[in-house]
Amino acid sequence: MPRPRTNLDVGLARDLTLPHLDSAYNLARWLMGSPQDASDAVHTAFLRAARYVHTYAGGNARAWWLSIVRNCCLAILSGRQTREVSLDALEADAENLVASEANEPEEQLHLAQSATLVVNELGRLPAEFREVLVLREIEDLSYREIAEILAVPIGTVMSRLARARQMIRKALARGAAHEM
Amino acid sequence: MKCEAARPLLESYLDGELDRAAVDELESHLSTCAACRAELAALERLRTTLRAAPRHRAPADLRRRLAQAGDLPQLEAASHGAFRAGWWAMAASLLLGLALGAGFMGWRAGTPGDDRQLRARDLLTSHLRALAASSPLDVISEDRHTVKPWFAGRIGESPPVIDPKSDEFPLLGGRIDYVGGRRTAVVVYGHRKHVIDVYVTAADPGAGALRMQGYALEPCLLAGQSTWIVSDIDADSLRRFSGLLGCGSQDNRR
Repeated sequence: MPRPRTNLDVGLARDLTLPHLDSAYNLARWLMGSPQDASDAVHTAFLRAARYVHTYAGGNARAWWLSIVRNCCLAILSGRQTREVSLDALEADAENLVASEANEPEEQLHLAQSATLVVNELGRLPAEFREVLVLREIEDLSYREIAEILAVPIGTVMSRLARARQMIRKALARGAAHEM
Repeated sequence: MKCEAARPLLESYLDGELDRAAVDELESHLSTCAACRAELAALERLRTTLRAAPRHRAPADLRRRLAQAGDLPQLEAASHGAFRAGWWAMAASLLLGLALGAGFMGWRAGTPGDDRQLRARDLLTSHLRALAASSPLDVISEDRHTVKPWFAGRIGESPPVIDPKSDEFPLLGGRIDYVGGRRTAVVVYGHRKHVIDVYVTAADPGAGALRMQGYALEPCLLAGQSTWIVSDIDADSLRRFSGLLGCGSQDNRR
């Protein structure tokens, strides 16, 4: 049950969040784009975690904490007026990306090995597809953990991950073709 | 197993998320199908490529800031101190009574509008977290005569619990959440597969509905108490629901 003792909140919040600070920062860094924005978002998320630490009901602390980080990132991003694109538009972009590069030769993927290309193309993906790839491939989280963080069913995680992989594959192949 | 059945399983297989029986079936198909093996190899190459992307590590100064400050006020000060330009702009906006453009992160104290946005964001975060939890309810009851005293025994006040007496919007129960650092009563209703949270807030919610991330946040005066309705139901359903609760009218049943 809730205990309204502020110092205790911060202590418990630290126990739950600091072991996963790199995960939190990595997710924020990929979502926000810049180191400063990522640090700010994680700091804000930590304050929220401390305030809401009593809502933590046991279970996976990393998933609980990353869901707060993600919500903070999205809240900050949605507050930005510049580069503001609706989800519908992102969906449409995503469709285009998949549709326009339907039959890129598989071999070109080999050429996409450079980390710079991966970083650029991943950064260009719509946030909802970028985040599943980051959580799965870089943070190495399970479907269940990702579902908890995104607050969606596991089936949605699977379909979004499949779309994301399809999109990044096409994007990498196209990027590799440009480099030639 | 045929290729059409095997292909959708390849990713789950690669991710280690297939159950034993499906793994056996898929592996026996892979042993005879070069095309599916090639697709699996392509997915593995993609994985190798993606894992070349850096995992960013938290900067030492961020870790220090979070690990060392003694309590929340200190941390909040540190959050301001982290970007002095923002801090001075904030001071200026307070002095001049000017609002800065929207954005930043809301820790900047500012106009009532900002404050409202910030509180609404807190509500939405709380709502989303409740949805992500295994159950959004601390007390499960369709009977308002159970829910109301449950709150009274825990937060020392008795929030307006109104039963819309509608199959469309059943009363599910209630929970207590921290919103903006305060314990807050949340009365929970259902609508088909959706959850509707009614947050009983101390602060005046102001007028006009807000939309954030596809969720509606609508202020509603219930029996003289300020509340916010938070849900992802569509606008028509929300209007019917707030009508059934009796938002804004003076004579709703307490």
